[in-house]
Amino acid sequence: MRFTSALRGVATVAALATVGLGLAACTPDAPSGDGDGPIVIGTSLPLTGDFSEGGTNTQQGYEVWKAITNENGGLLGRQVDFKVYDDASDQNTVVSDYTQLIGQDGVDLVLGSQSSLLNIPASAIAEREGYLFICPSCGSGDMYNRGFTKIFFSQQSVAANQAKLFAEWIAALPEDERPATAAYPSLDDPFAGPVVDGAEAILSAAGVETVYKDVYPADTKNFDSIVAAVRDSGAEMVVQGAQFEDGVNFLRSMNRAGYQPDILFQSSSPTYGDQYLDGVGQENTEGVFFAASYTTQAATPGNEEFIAKYKELYDGAEPPEDAADGYAAAQVLQAAVEAVGSIDDQDALADWLHANSVDTILGTLSWNEDGSPKGDFLIGQWQGGVAQIVLPADVATSDEILRWRGGAL
Amino acid sequence: MSGPAPAAAPDWRGRLTDPVLWRWITRALVLVAAVVLVLFPLSPSISAQNTVILALVFAISASGLNIITGYAGYLSLSQGAFLGIGAYTGAILARANPGVSPFVWAPVAGVVAAVVAALLGLVTYRSRGPSFVIITIAFTLLVQFVARQWTGLTNGSSGITLPLPDWPREWGNWPFHLVLVALLALSLLLSWWIRRTKFGTGLIAIREDEGKAGTIGINAPVYKLLAFGLSALLTGMAGSVYGYYLTFVDPSGMFAILLSVQIVLSVILGGRGTLFGPVLGAFIIQPLNSWANTIGGGGNVRLVLFGGLLVLLVLLLPSGILPSLQALLERIRTRGTVGLSGARLGAVGESPAVTTPRERPAVAAAPLLEVRGLAKSFGGNRAVDDCSFTVPEGSITALIGPNGSGKTTVFNLVSGTMTPDRGEILLGGEAIERLSPWSRAHRGIGRTFQITRLFKEMTVLENVVAPLRDFSPGQLGLGAVSGAEARRAEELLAFVGMSAYRDARAGSLSYGQQKLVELAQVLVLEPRLILLDEPAGGINPTLIERMGELIRELNRQGTTFLLVEHNMPFVLGLCDPIRVLARGAVIAEGGPEQIQHDPLVLDAYLGDDFLLEGESKTGAVPTVKGGRA
Amino acid sequence: MISLIQTLILGVLVGAVYALLASGLTLIFGVMRVINLAHGAFAILAAFLTYTLWSWLGLDPLLSIPIVTVAMFAVGWVVYQLAIRHVRGRHVSMTVLLTFGISLVLEGVMGFVWGNTSHSVRTDYTDASVQLGPFFLPEAQLIVAIVAVVVIGLLYLVLQRTWAGRAIRAASSNESGALLVGVSVSSVAALTFAIGTATLGAGGAMISVIYPFLPGSHDQWIARLLAIVVLGGLGSLPGAIVGALVIGVGEMLATSYIGASWPVAVPFLVIFVVLVLRPQGLMGTRLREDAVA
Repeated sequence: MRFTSALRGVATVAALATVGLGLAACTPDAPSGDGDGPIVIGTSLPLTGDFSEGGTNTQQGYEVWKAITNENGGLLGRQVDFKVYDDASDQNTVVSDYTQLIGQDGVDLVLGSQSSLLNIPASAIAEREGYLFICPSCGSGDMYNRGFTKIFFSQQSVAANQAKLFAEWIAALPEDERPATAAYPSLDDPFAGPVVDGAEAILSAAGVETVYKDVYPADTKNFDSIVAAVRDSGAEMVVQGAQFEDGVNFLRSMNRAGYQPDILFQSSSPTYGDQYLDGVGQENTEGVFFAASYTTQAATPGNEEFIAKYKELYDGAEPPEDAADGYAAAQVLQAAVEAVGSIDDQDALADWLHANSVDTILGTLSWNEDGSPKGDFLIGQWQGGVAQIVLPADVATSDEILRWRGGAL
Repeated sequence: MSGPAPAAAPDWRGRLTDPVLWRWITRALVLVAAVVLVLFPLSPSISAQNTVILALVFAISASGLNIITGYAGYLSLSQGAFLGIGAYTGAILARANPGVSPFVWAPVAGVVAAVVAALLGLVTYRSRGPSFVIITIAFTLLVQFVARQWTGLTNGSSGITLPLPDWPREWGNWPFHLVLVALLALSLLLSWWIRRTKFGTGLIAIREDEGKAGTIGINAPVYKLLAFGLSALLTGMAGSVYGYYLTFVDPSGMFAILLSVQIVLSVILGGRGTLFGPVLGAFIIQPLNSWANTIGGGGNVRLVLFGGLLVLLVLLLPSGILPSLQALLERIRTRGTVGLSGARLGAVGESPAVTTPRERPAVAAAPLLEVRGLAKSFGGNRAVDDCSFTVPEGSITALIGPNGSGKTTVFNLVSGTMTPDRGEILLGGEAIERLSPWSRAHRGIGRTFQITRLFKEMTVLENVVAPLRDFSPGQLGLGAVSGAEARRAEELLAFVGMSAYRDARAGSLSYGQQKLVELAQVLVLEPRLILLDEPAGGINPTLIERMGELIRELNRQGTTFLLVEHNMPFVLGLCDPIRVLARGAVIAEGGPEQIQHDPLVLDAYLGDDFLLEGESKTGAVPTVKGGRA
Repeated sequence: MISLIQTLILGVLVGAVYALLASGLTLIFGVMRVINLAHGAFAILAAFLTYTLWSWLGLDPLLSIPIVTVAMFAVGWVVYQLAIRHVRGRHVSMTVLLTFGISLVLEGVMGFVWGNTSHSVRTDYTDASVQLGPFFLPEAQLIVAIVAVVVIGLLYLVLQRTWAGRAIRAASSNESGALLVGVSVSSVAALTFAIGTATLGAGGAMISVIYPFLPGSHDQWIARLLAIVVLGGLGSLPGAIVGALVIGVGEMLATSYIGASWPVAVPFLVIFVVLVLRPQGLMGTRLREDAVA
């Protein structure tokens, strides 16, 4: 009978669950590193769900680092291996994942997840268990006011300062060239919001009037009415806090509405390389400003090697920013481990990082006491289908600065 | 009075499935589980500890949800929202008061969640079934929206971070664990206590048949409000501990619909309406969740697993694990035995002691019930059309008429099941046509149904305990299975002769037996007026006679009756006066003598060749053959 | 004034798509009293099928509508026979949970097959717009709106003029009556579910053109669709159209005049207000309450 067989099935599941729970309870956690085998680095990433785009890219960065490191003899003479869990962009899961990695799996080291929303709870687990937590994606300021001692953000600055150089440059333009009005649409996100707020603070202090400022929810797909409102406000410049998709859609919407401001800045979205180019169309990328932690043109140590290995592993594609950030995080970890000479004392690793700086493919990174980085983001602009760096001048890969959709500024 | 036939000597099957044995087995299992649970942090595996802590949070939420979804039968997908509200309350207060342990705020979080839940219950008092579910979904998403927008309070999408626990590292997870275990214990205690009171039986009555529950005095909207509030109380507290454990609360994490789905899944898997079912369910679902992530391979596997589990549950095991096990045991135990319905009825017992004895009015009584110009249409169909009649106090009045004449509709209008388009209904001079069914029940109207509407899943005794004479907190808290209420119910059961069936499931009774129990239910209300819808319909002659006896006995003590009936000998032998209804209006009234000879009545209903042989209520009748008198 | 009209135009265009998507949902509820929470997931499935046809064969979404419609009809029929059939007539919580479970399974499967990143179909009309004086009408939206009107019109014709349509309407208003006059209610139910799902063939194709989508998108859609059918009255096709337009315009107005984050709240507020104040919606009918007996 269907009934009793279903019942049998369920009873079996219940029994198995009880047994499983019992076994799990009594199994002590695996002891960390036995000195000979590979060094295991644990991480949880959003490979599915809302943040899956960035999560997958970050994982690629980790993989490239692993390939290069192992080819060069490994870390402290031992091969490295990753243990990666998918947290599905869910906080409960990321907590369980890191607990599992540190506890049950007994990994030697951990690296962070992608997105502040996941990394805030994840870093708490690491801090509680005394593990060093190097984070490729922790732009939110809230991460650093909790008194944690072992957290480090492996990019040049927190979100609020990302657009600083751009805003300062605009503010420094002579009055007849500087735009009089600006619009600030932003994604409702702890990453994107602060970027725009930081820029607005600098620009409005310099006399650029804010004629539109609003926040749109994360799942907004249709930007036509938002763009209509921005257009009607008469803004000469648009500074958008975006993530990826929303940046693409906003731009396409601007075309439909026939709205073409002189200056367009989008955070994050334009850093997605070919995905952005295809999503928007090349002539639309021309002149779009963005802030980036990374550019493939940079002459930073290890960058050529990174790009070559990435192309080799991933079908000749250009590495996106999140992959580079992941790679840099691993580089920071590597530097600390090699300097201290062992993986057993996480406190020593943290202390070394507080006292020193590390050269990565993003440039030289160094940190404040609370783990937030000291430094400035790069400001880039798409020119001729290539993402160039335009600020700061000393690392710029291009001399000109264009207006959106072509023409000198 | 003979009871059921003695059972065969218990065989091995009977012994193995003996309820008493299983009660002890259950107690032992629960005890072992409790000990393991309390001492769990001794486990050397911190990821197992993590799973158990999360499972505890879900178990508390599931146990709370059981009150509104399990007992009252209202599927709510907003339980996750209350968990989140608790978490946010705790986080906001913790941030505003650094230096105070976040645990202190748990009771406050619980109260806030309970108040919000009660408000939601208030707003949805008229919603049932699909509407209710949709509203709870909308509510969860709306709360998420508010959390995102009200940045002043909640810090918007960025969320609120909490400090790391301030106790020594060696204590590990003990504080979280013990607080949650204590909350779980409280939650189970609350659930157990509710089940044992009239409030609990009332909730189950609402689940089984909300309309019927109204007619026995159960004020469904208020019950729902209370149930909702109670369901969220401990959940909110668990939420604040949960937020503290994660050290971070934010809108997308705390108010995801999937969280509510997980909690509902736990309740249904374990068995809704049972005490331990939701807990069992939570402790199966949460490890499954973790397992799907780590070993199964990630987000998509988890979705397919949860979705598949949900689908399979609904299709194959909708009642859940514990009730199915119970049912299975019951079937094994009773295989080959004869059900109770074969037993003979007891004799009509002593009339029940009435707490407010009524005097039988000596003279021609004032009407107890007056119906004036009542009208009710359904679309183009005028079911009741300018109907007016009175029911004298202390009488047994009959309402007869052909099918489709509107008799049941009139009953529905009087008992409050429907509201009239026009007209007035006066009970003892008071206009009641705008009152709710339960208010009318509290004023002394009781009513039975043509197709009996007992609460099938409850026992006969519980069915008779369920009605509420008047609404007060004291009444709600009265014990349902023991105490004064139960004794009274037993008296009434004895009166109608159904004592032997006290503990039988009401759904297993025969039609006639159900009618008797329904009558006993109505008597709990100590009604002034009882509406009987075809009391003699569909039952054997012995039972018909018993019905007549019971009606007469109650009438002697002062209860007024209004019957709808087709069995003419029964009516003519019992009732005076008689009202005849046709096409929604009264066409004749008078004593049995007049009615039998009234040409309108003969034309519309009785037919030219109607013969009455034997006694009618008003004396011997010359048999009339054909034609007019 | 101009921006108000522009907002209204955008609202009406988007409302047409909503109407198309909601029509199947309300039809299914009207006949079967089943709230199909998987409707959004089916729509996304149709979008993915359209996308696949476009990326493999270069087939324009408009041309792939017939193919995808037939495919979705088959999917609907199969799902009905395997799962939905068994819960008809049971307590509403069961159908809600069942369809929700189906939506989760669909989301997981779509994630396996197509991955979890977002996709969209780029055609030559995707970024173009038609200028009408001071107003711009996005071309893709315009085309989609026209398709929606055509499909809804076809649906209406099927319901009014064909025997199957009459059978569906009969079963929807009185099931036992329909049984008595020889309508096989169980096959009508299967047919209804399949037709309701088939309308998503066109609807999903339209989504693929104007919105980027990924397997997880179905959540937002189902909330909006529920609001539409609740507002219009569960079971009423004209009601769904009216409801869709109201919500489409409402969302646009909210964006322009209150703030970009507010359109999200419009569906939920509508659900709340309607179910509390007027549960039968704008055009639904009240049933005789004591039909149980």
